[in-house]
Amino acid sequence: MIARISYAFRETWASLKRNVTLTMAAVITSAVSLLLVGSTFLIQRAFDNLLTRWKGDVELIVYVRSDADPNQIQVIEDALKSQPSIIDVTKLRYLDQAESYAEAQKLFAGDPGTLRLLTPENIPSQFKVVPISQDSNLIRELGEQFRGLAGVREVAYAQDVFDVVARVSQFIRIATTAMSIVLLVVAVGLIWNTIRTAMFARRREIEVMKLVGATNWFIRIPFMLEGLLQGLIGGVLSCLGLWGLNSAWSGAVADFNDTELAALVVTDGYMRFVMIILLGIGAIAGAVGSGIAASRFLDV
Amino acid sequence: MIRLENVTKTYGTEIPAVRDASFEIAKGEFVFMVGPSGSGKSTLLRLMNRQEQPERGEVWVAGKDINAMADSKVPYLRRNIGNIFQDYKLLLNKTVFENVAFALEVIGRPKHVIRQQVPAVLDLVGLSDKEDRFPHQLSGGEQQRVSIARAFVNRPLILLADEPTGNLDPATGEGIMRLLDRINNTGTTVVMATHDQRIVNMMRRRVVQLDRGVIVRDQERGVYD
Repeated sequence: MIARISYAFRETWASLKRNVTLTMAAVITSAVSLLLVGSTFLIQRAFDNLLTRWKGDVELIVYVRSDADPNQIQVIEDALKSQPSIIDVTKLRYLDQAESYAEAQKLFAGDPGTLRLLTPENIPSQFKVVPISQDSNLIRELGEQFRGLAGVREVAYAQDVFDVVARVSQFIRIATTAMSIVLLVVAVGLIWNTIRTAMFARRREIEVMKLVGATNWFIRIPFMLEGLLQGLIGGVLSCLGLWGLNSAWSGAVADFNDTELAALVVTDGYMRFVMIILLGIGAIAGAVGSGIAASRFLDV
Repeated sequence: MIRLENVTKTYGTEIPAVRDASFEIAKGEFVFMVGPSGSGKSTLLRLMNRQEQPERGEVWVAGKDINAMADSKVPYLRRNIGNIFQDYKLLLNKTVFENVAFALEVIGRPKHVIRQQVPAVLDLVGLSDKEDRFPHQLSGGEQQRVSIARAFVNRPLILLADEPTGNLDPATGEGIMRLLDRINNTGTTVVMATHDQRIVNMMRRRVVQLDRGVIVRDQERGVYD
């Protein structure tokens, strides 16, 4: 048994050394495809964070003109509070101009041009409304009633942002999934080709092995190990890449704390989970690809 | 030990390589398959270890219908059959010792068995002093002895030899024949395909003669004719 295992490892290592360029191509391709798979996971998770954040939170914002007088503001507030069946009155929050300006400082941190135009005097104040009702039409109807009210500048619905985010995230998901599947197929193809080349280089040995009665599994296992190793190394590289990307992204987003972007950060726990999945996919794709190749070229 | 019953083997759409061949080889026999190139000698050997499968007929080896057995059992059949070839089929990057050890290694024999069996068989073929040589450092006759050692190291029941003297000069070929004769005397059944008349006439063993895939003569203690 020990003899068999050491045989398999010796042959695997010799074969990897023999086919450095082809092995590199297979490893890099599988690394890139797995990196895309991992990115898809992370982006998905990030958008999910963003969306859940909106969900339990504010659904409707009534922006009040900067030149509105206190009476007009009072009318708006009273009108909102008169709808306790639709909105959660206890969570109704009014941000005055100073508070709204402070919030804008963060919201537009990445957009200094817009920020320069805003002052604590010209910025609209805002009512943040948390609805009780789940009926988005009802909320929209309510919001539209405020549009005509004196002093109201704008009414914004979370639903609008929600739709955009959902659409963008779906687009990204489809695009990255499609690309990663294509690349994964290419990676398996390259691993397949590496194995075929490795087997061709050793066809004499394989012929002798078959004649003296080595089992097909015995012949096949070093090649499968080789493919598995290629997939696994690709997986490790993709994990490193993903970790680097996520760190860079988290670092960049840290500057935008308290805005929606902050939600786009993926925590370490989920990262570990994704890494394990990538290593698993790499190992399985490598072993299966090379196993099928080895069987194809090993007809008795 | 080996029994063929009405075996026909065709490659592609050509005329049959072997047509309706039937014969039996007893345990411990030494049999020559003779005939010109393309007469089907090699095909007959390849049918005996299931490198080829016939269209019709049965091949029985050591009490088993080898074409009825599962693919996964074929390696175990082959562990009982040694093979020798005209071109030796040695692995050029391995030493004499490693070439012979390889045959045991790949069927999972432990190291201590290998350390014991390989020197013994190299002694038998007369190459004890050349364990560490590589094939290109050996003469043709010596290379063929290595290949015989590799075929015999697992003590098979049957030895199939396909033109083993084909690349050797007469004197060296005779040496190889004496070695095969000694192996035969240990009880191993030897089947040898050849068109070397001199050797067949010298050995005076059973001769099965083929002509275009058909057995035309089967004679005890025969000559090449």
